[in-house]
Amino acid sequence: MADGPLRGVRILDLTHVWAGPLATRVLADLGAIVVKVEGPMGRGPREFRGGLPIGGWLGGEPPAEPWNVNAVFVKLQRNKQSLAIDLKTDEGRDAFLELVAVADVVMENFSARAMPALGLDYARLAAANPRIIYVSMPGFGNSGPYRDRVAFGPSVEPMSGLTTVMGYGPGEPRNTAMALMDPITGVSATAAVVNALRRRERTGKGAHVEMSLHEGGVAFSGPWLIDVQLPGYAGDIAPLGNRHPVMAPHGVYRCAGDDAWVAIACRDDADWRALCAVIVGLDPRAGLAERRQDHDRIDATIGAWTASKTKSEAAEILQKARVPAGPVNITPDMTEDPQVEARGFFVPLEAGPTPIPGNPIKMAGISSDDWRRCPRLGADNRAVLRAWLGYDDDRIEALENAGVVVDKPPA
Amino acid sequence: MDRVLELGGHAAGFCGRLFAQSGYDVVRIESGDSAPAWASQTAIDLYLHAGKRRVRTDDAGLIAELAGRADVVVAEADTADAVTALDFDTWTTPVKVAITPFGLTGPKRNWRATPHVLLAMGGYTNLMGDSDRAPLSLPGHYVEFQSGTFAFTAANACRLAEERNTVDVGMLEVVMALSQFTTVMWHCGGVVRSRHGSDFWSVVPSNLFRCADGWVYTNIVPSFWDPFTVFLDRPELAVDERFENNEKRMLNRTALHSVIDDVLASRSKAEIDQRAIECRIPLGVVQSFEDVLADPHLSERGVWQELVHGETTVRSPPPAWRIHDETRPALRLSEPEAPRKQEPSAHG
Repeated sequence: MADGPLRGVRILDLTHVWAGPLATRVLADLGAIVVKVEGPMGRGPREFRGGLPIGGWLGGEPPAEPWNVNAVFVKLQRNKQSLAIDLKTDEGRDAFLELVAVADVVMENFSARAMPALGLDYARLAAANPRIIYVSMPGFGNSGPYRDRVAFGPSVEPMSGLTTVMGYGPGEPRNTAMALMDPITGVSATAAVVNALRRRERTGKGAHVEMSLHEGGVAFSGPWLIDVQLPGYAGDIAPLGNRHPVMAPHGVYRCAGDDAWVAIACRDDADWRALCAVIVGLDPRAGLAERRQDHDRIDATIGAWTASKTKSEAAEILQKARVPAGPVNITPDMTEDPQVEARGFFVPLEAGPTPIPGNPIKMAGISSDDWRRCPRLGADNRAVLRAWLGYDDDRIEALENAGVVVDKPPA
Repeated sequence: MDRVLELGGHAAGFCGRLFAQSGYDVVRIESGDSAPAWASQTAIDLYLHAGKRRVRTDDAGLIAELAGRADVVVAEADTADAVTALDFDTWTTPVKVAITPFGLTGPKRNWRATPHVLLAMGGYTNLMGDSDRAPLSLPGHYVEFQSGTFAFTAANACRLAEERNTVDVGMLEVVMALSQFTTVMWHCGGVVRSRHGSDFWSVVPSNLFRCADGWVYTNIVPSFWDPFTVFLDRPELAVDERFENNEKRMLNRTALHSVIDDVLASRSKAEIDQRAIECRIPLGVVQSFEDVLADPHLSERGVWQELVHGETTVRSPPPAWRIHDETRPALRLSEPEAPRKQEPSAHG
């Protein structure tokens, strides 16, 4: 079990896909006791039908228990306990409400209809525990005309305004195709939880916290949303490719090797002069306005210099001259970067040598040495029901025999 | 409520914003030039610094004194050495958070970086843009805002536990922590994830499509395929062998995209949006920032918060969460002021 400042905080985690599990993973890394409350089919069917899952299997081969080793799932579940319980049954729901009564936080990112349909809306949870902090994360929130719209990160992204500025230029918008609304909302959810816990400490009150993928994305568009309202706005916000409104040069440049690139940015005149000391043919006297005007020619000069160097060589040379630059990394580059290796960022926690991204919060008292891998489905059923609710073996066995509590998906 | 001292760029600014929006007393130190931004200085100041007290000084002794009176200090700097140069280590604040591009330790702790560089090194840039063109960087302040959020979470966790601590947030690791399947795809599947324009690639169709008056993005995971054929008014596609499952749709991606292009080209964004709602498929219209401000859903949900600067009032999105019994008051952006001589200590 991870130790950290959230030790003792009990979280019931009903989340799925990316945003929610990311949030609870971060909180678990910080020491919270996170119980992943999973439906019997929460990890998919017992028999895997179809090709390789998008992130592959832990261990590489189609395994005996496919539901326990889907890599994309597993990477988000470390430091959690698994309680596999059917909330669609009366017994399962009753047990869940007993857990709520002794929990601090409940988190879910179902559709807006799901928890009320289970009879588990905020009013019901608060009746079980008035101090509960309930974090609900439906795609478009629990109210409003889009409440029942289907939401996935990539399709919500254009509704945040981001696609208006993302692309190769006017008329060539691009979606990141990375579902960015999920990590935005997921990380924001960690902030929401600690904020609500501190509020409860001050006021004694629980909270119904609501978030959405949509509003998460819109929140990050704030500066642009304000800009377009200010007097004198010129109506000139548009995709800039790899350029920047007030940094020049600012780009991605081809290097020696297959699809190899280096990112370079000059924040100010000092960075520019440092760049000019490395690359022949650039005028160190040029100010920002001139550099922006002359960006095409500057890019060509930089590109001619980078073309003969590997991306790592180019970045190293520029960094020695104090120019912000870095290689455009692919996965093997990322995990082998000496910086992240030195800081032990990737954690070889799961089956085999599988580096999983660590937690970017580093502080005394947090160490991956005491982290534990993703639990098997239902691995902690008995431990949780005993420790949290004081159930005896007979009572647990009855739930198991009734299929309310399981340790594998139904056949 | 805690007193929070904030120094540095947009990551620290965002962290301080979350504290200020949560009712804490935030003092921002302003010194030197502002970090480069994607919006005007006024927009950045309104968004990040409304509700804070802004103090203009570069007096190290005074900053140390203010840090000593705070419960939390959040300091962002260009390098690890720049954090040391602030005398960060000597400050007596119970919870200290340093945000730097690469963290306070490691061989690259003094490398220079902007978000553009960190997105490249963190594996994002390689995934964005067209396969036959240069990869695309991400506009905006995603890296700084995510880093600031992690800093907020860490600082509050320490305060909740009533423990003194120093937190080290490396922005490169923030980016690397936020990949969905980039790393496991390689280590478990042996596949290097790559870029495909706007196409999510492993789920088809998931792409940006042009319509009569703009663009829309649709993201049809397998369970939405049948309603999607209804949405297109092409129900026969549901029994078309070329498209009968996601694997086949991946193989016949170009043909399917062509069908979708043909259907959507003559329809307006509004028509497509309405039809998507009726058919319950995941689809989003590309909205300008003006469109977002006029969005009826956001308005009906009371999302917008007023920010005031002089005679100007604007609407801004608050932090991404809401607590149901709380309202977001209008916040004012104050001008930077000279430091006050005597301020009460929050923690004795």
